[in-house]
This record gives sequence, C-alpha cells and structure tokens, in this order.
Amino acid sequence: MSLHAGLPEYSSEVRRRFERAPRLGHLAGKLPGRVSGAAGDVRQGVRVVFEARLAEGRVAQCRFRAYGCPHVIAAASWVAEHAEGRRVDPAWPDVHQLARLLQVPPHKLGSLLVVQDAFRACMAAPREA
Amino acid sequence: MNDKHETIYLDYAATTPVDERVVRCMVDCLGPDACFANPASSSHAPGREARNRVERARREVAALLGAKPPEIIWTSGATESDNLAIKGAARFHADRGRHIVTSRTEHKAVLDTCRQLEKEGWQITYVTPGEGGIVSAAEIEPALRPDTVLVSVMFVNNEIGTVNDLAPIGELCRERGVLFHVDAAQAAGKLPVNVDALGADLLSVSAHKAYGPKGVGALYLRGSPKSRLEPMIHGGGHEWGMRSGTLATHQIVGMGEAFRLAAAEQPAEAERLASLRDRLWAGLSGLGGVHLNGDPARRVPGILNVSFEGVEGESLLFALRELAVSSGSACTSASREASYVLRALGRDDQLAQSSLRLSIGRYSTREEVDRAVGLVRAQVERLREISPRDDDESTKGAA
Repeated sequence: MSLHAGLPEYSSEVRRRFERAPRLGHLAGKLPGRVSGAAGDVRQGVRVVFEARLAEGRVAQCRFRAYGCPHVIAAASWVAEHAEGRRVDPAWPDVHQLARLLQVPPHKLGSLLVVQDAFRACMAAPREA
Repeated sequence: MNDKHETIYLDYAATTPVDERVVRCMVDCLGPDACFANPASSSHAPGREARNRVERARREVAALLGAKPPEIIWTSGATESDNLAIKGAARFHADRGRHIVTSRTEHKAVLDTCRQLEKEGWQITYVTPGEGGIVSAAEIEPALRPDTVLVSVMFVNNEIGTVNDLAPIGELCRERGVLFHVDAAQAAGKLPVNVDALGADLLSVSAHKAYGPKGVGALYLRGSPKSRLEPMIHGGGHEWGMRSGTLATHQIVGMGEAFRLAAAEQPAEAERLASLRDRLWAGLSGLGGVHLNGDPARRVPGILNVSFEGVEGESLLFALRELAVSSGSACTSASREASYVLRALGRDDQLAQSSLRLSIGRYSTREEVDRAVGLVRAQVERLREISPRDDDESTKGAA
C-alpha cells in the first residue's frame, strides 16, 4: 500500500495533543462575539475548523475540530489553546513557529498552512451579534 | 495509550513468522556439525547431503504447486522471481514481440519491472480490474495484440485479498500462444495452487509469506527451464543456468518445510482463518461508515481490507499502534498518495487514504481479533469526534 508506509516520528507534544486533544469541540450556545472559520478539504486530507469568542480585541475562548494527520490535530489544538488571551493578530500563528514547536517535518508544512488559514479565517470572520 | 502494550500482529500479508518446525530444519543446516556444505560440491558426502536436502525441498515446493521438481528455480524471493519471469521472458522472446499485458493492481515487483521494460522499449498495457477488483479474461482479452509475448496477473491481490479469475486467462493465453506469468506470493499455502489448472507458464512464490524464512523464493517455469528465459544473474550456471549463485541450503530447506506444512495444513487453516476474518468484519462493520474493499466472496481467507468514513489514514494508523497493520495511505510524502490499488477500484481519496489491511494467520487467535475490533472501534469513534462534521454549524459556507 503504499501499504507499508512507515509512520513518521512524532514529538512528545504532538503525541500528547493527539491523545488528549485539548480545546477540542464547540463553543456551546449562542455567544456574542463568536466567530468561526475553516480551511482545507477532507478530500485533500486536511480540514480544520476553529470557533472563538472575541471580547475587547482578545480571544476569550477558542475550540477546534480537525481532520488530518496527528501533526494537524496537534497544531490545531496548540493554536486553539495558545490563542486564548491573545490580542487578535492577523499575522498569528506563524506556520514556521508551529513547525519548530511541534517538530513537524518539512513535508508537512502544507498541512500546517491549512491550520494557519483556518485560524486566520476565523479571526477575520464577522462576529455574531 | 503508549507503545508499551503488547502488539497484536495483524500483518501476515506483509510477512509471517517462521514456524518453529521450519526453524528446526533450518538450524540443522547451520553450524560446523550441521549440513552446511555447498550443495554444488558433489565430490564429497557433505556436499551430496546438502544437495539431497535442497532437492527434497524442491520436491516439496513442486508438490504444493502441482509442478515437477525440475520446473522449480530457487531465487531470493518473489520479487526476484517476478523480475526473472518478466524480464527473462520478455528479453528471450523479444524477436516475437515487445508487448506485455498486466493489471493496474499488481504488486510493485511486477509494475516496476514492467516500467523498467518500458524504458527499454517494450510496450505495456495495464488493464483496470473488473468489479470488486477481480482481474478476469474479460479485461485481458481486449488488451492482447499480435505482438503480445507475456501476460502477468497476480493470483491473490496483496492489498485487498481478492482472488483473480486466472484459469480462463491461462486458457486464453494458451490459445493465443502468449506466456502466462502468475505472481502467487499471497496464494501459496493459503489457497490450492495448481499450475496446470491455472494454465500458468511461470509462477512466482516466496517462503516468508508462508511461515518460511525471508530471502528465499522460487520461480516455476513450465517444461525445460534451459531455453525459455534470459537469465539475469550469471556466474556458475546454477539452477540450469537460470540463476547462478551458491544455493542457500538452510533457506531452501526452510522453504521446503514451510511448503510441506502448508500442503498438509492449508485446508483446516483456511477454514479457521475465514471464520476469524468474518468475525473481524462483523465487529468492524457494526461501526457504520465502514467499507469492505474488494469482492466480498472471491477472497483469500486471511486478508480483510476496510475503509472508514470520516477518518484520516495516518491518524488512524498512529491511533492503532497497538495493532501491527498496514495502511492504504503513504502519508510520509508531501503528496499523501493514496493506495493505487484502491484508486484503481474507484475508491475516492478519503476512503483510499483511510483504509486498513488487517491480515490474520496461523498464530492469530479469537481473543486477538476481539481485542483488535474493540481498539479499532474506539479509535475510529474518537477520530470521528475530532473531525469536523458536514452539518457542523461552524463549517457552513467555509472554503
């Protein structure tokens, strides 16, 4: 298959986030200041969705869902967790920083770009009243 | 979950452990007090004893295939057998034509060999299998041309476990005067294999798929082997000049014993494995959104290939690292190449990427199958929970 494709090595942070997926899920109920955004396509192997609640120019809460390899799930989890408390910044996250933090191999950068695009789409989305 | 749990081995289609009875025969050919001599050294008794053991093994392999012992050529495995069969026949018969027919779902040992011949000027027709992934004469016949010299079709597909309809292909080849090669690496010891019933002129097998050692295989060559193939390895004229090199007595003896055991135990083992495979499928299909890949009826007992909706292949494989299984996706590359076999069957990329091949064998137990079912169900459900859903409010209108 490439039936005998080997799995890459995953860092302990990727393993932890893949297993526990902190910040996985939805924001419950109808929340003022809620935004959502997505990127990717399941048919291409990666799709990421973020939901966040914004308040006073900051991310108050953030949740994710992801279809992808363990690196994608870990990256989406990391972004959702570290977004909370941050000022809304159209240039964040940086995909190269994500790759370094999670020790993602270079050929997976394209998948991390989907995570980045999804979060930036979320931040740029119109807020619920 | 960590990696310290005891792994459940469900990858018998990749390779099998060497049977203890085979190990004992092999050990008897190693060491200073054992049968270690060169089988080509006919001038002394130890050499003749080694030769006797090699020839006994040849008889066992021939018997499993319904062949005559002189029609068996020792090789290093099925890959070399495929290479020798295809390149050897193509080059030997080049003056008759330079066209070969094979299928898109063959093992890479066949496909890459054919691609090499393409570079050397041969033309190859790769036929798409019929329904359920079965290759039959209906697909092969339209591809035959006056200059076709060889047809190569595998007996059992190594990914999905389907059994191709070979006998009519063999008959067709005989009528058209075309050589017929069968890669039987996944069939030998799992199904009855008879070269006459298949109409095979060439047939490749390996030991390690049938509880023998790695590094040894055989090529069946119908009739006299002396004048039908262009050899690839020269140097000493061993194996009727078809494959030079000192014979690896312990490997060959191991293969002979493995094939002897397979002949004796295959019918009972096939029944037991089919029962375990059906239990595995029943447990997995209950999840919903699970697809069986390949024809549900024409299949070898030990292989089950399934795809899961809503689950990505690499994550599934990592989540199931307590199971030694094979995946349908090659996620180590940037292209995320999905299985070429499943794509040839028409599976979409998502299902092709999320496929697992679970293959059971001689040492698989009901308890292992039940534990594997529980693990797969739990992890598929967990990954589906992580995935965005089609009706997810937050994904509406998303790019």
